[in-house]
Amino acid sequence: MKNSFLIAAALLFAVPMFAQADKQWALDQSTLSYHMSHPMHEVDGISHAAKGKGVCQAGQCDFLIAAPVKSFDTGDSNRDLHMIETTRGAQFPMVIVRTQFPESEIAEATIHADLEVQFAGQTAHYKNVAFQKIVHGNQIEITGVVPATCSDFKIDRPSFLTVPIKNEIPVRVDMTWHPM
Amino acid sequence: MRTNPRMTMGRKGVLALFCCVLSVPAVCAAQTSQSIAPGDSSAPDSSSVAATSTIAAVVSPDIGDLPSAPDPRAQTAQQPGQANQQSPTKPGSGLSLGDLGFTTQQTQANAQMQAMLEKRTHMLKVHQTLGLITVIPMVATLFTGPEAKATGKNGQPITEPTTANLDFHVALGGLTSGLYWTAAYYAIFAPKIPGVKPKGAIRLHRDMEWIHGPGMILTPILGIMAYNQENAGEKVHGIASYHGTAAYVTAAAYGVSIVAISWPIHWKFWER
Repeated sequence: MKNSFLIAAALLFAVPMFAQADKQWALDQSTLSYHMSHPMHEVDGISHAAKGKGVCQAGQCDFLIAAPVKSFDTGDSNRDLHMIETTRGAQFPMVIVRTQFPESEIAEATIHADLEVQFAGQTAHYKNVAFQKIVHGNQIEITGVVPATCSDFKIDRPSFLTVPIKNEIPVRVDMTWHPM
Repeated sequence: MRTNPRMTMGRKGVLALFCCVLSVPAVCAAQTSQSIAPGDSSAPDSSSVAATSTIAAVVSPDIGDLPSAPDPRAQTAQQPGQANQQSPTKPGSGLSLGDLGFTTQQTQANAQMQAMLEKRTHMLKVHQTLGLITVIPMVATLFTGPEAKATGKNGQPITEPTTANLDFHVALGGLTSGLYWTAAYYAIFAPKIPGVKPKGAIRLHRDMEWIHGPGMILTPILGIMAYNQENAGEKVHGIASYHGTAAYVTAAAYGVSIVAISWPIHWKFWER
């Protein structure tokens, strides 16, 4: 009986340990910047307000990163408000990115991730997006570019002097993660 | 056969422990539970949530480090008109916006604000279009100004402008003024977004209002005075003689205002 009790007790403590074997990641700091191009203007909208978390379990990593649409700053409040209006940012206030990749990719210098981006009430998928990885001690810096376009999210391209902006609005990502 | 009460209690204890063991993965799985739609009958009631939380607290003191499960109450608290349009949790991944620490206020849709932004954009587009159209009669008025001016010095013959020149200049001035104030109306009455401080090019654009706005009041008044003086056969004198200066300053400020809102400009039309 004593043995049964000990086995049960061992199991009791072992299960949480197995559960904790899942590795979790937290986003320390981030810089997300979209680039908008017009024949008369080149504009970068930058946000440092993204938050993110990642869980790796059973050889698969799931990451969620999100930032408020209104946190992107081009240095011109009028333009930023127009951006929020155009991207339906009050109706859909968050840009949400989910990604999955094999846990083994974390050890590689380049991570290839499939992204699901929710923005402006639409969801777009980007396959095999490459992110460069730089290790800083306990932290990992991830950089890359998400090849977003206005049409991916059914955004009516703003125009100036009847000339619309380019369809491409690449989003540069620079994030620093640390294991929890 | 006599039953050993201690043995019976031991079996119960082992059973209880096994229940605990079996419940732990269930508790861990709760960390990856999906969001519960409002009205979802599968939503746990508050008592079951409290019970599993208690077990979790006993089994794993570090449970607070794990991402928290979505709060069903937060899901049901959303108003129909302000429902979060972005699904906070995706099946297959246990992470939700709540795990990231965003407040409901940050993630909640605001249809009223969207409508306000759309109205603002519409009004400012009209403002922009009318403002640019205003440039045409404004420039034309500046060019016709000298033709409408009496020439000559006091004590010498005064050359009066022809009536056609004078009327054409007055008509252009009136058109400029009408377009200008219509454009201004759309800027002044465009909805203001609370909490947004003007930043960037818009500041100079708005600062210029304090020059070309009064200028667009003063210039026509001085113009009417000059017109009356010329019609009376007098050379324009007094404050009316500053009509032209006021017009040029107003036009210059107006030009700066247009360039400011477009600044910095990168001319790359060949890259279209």
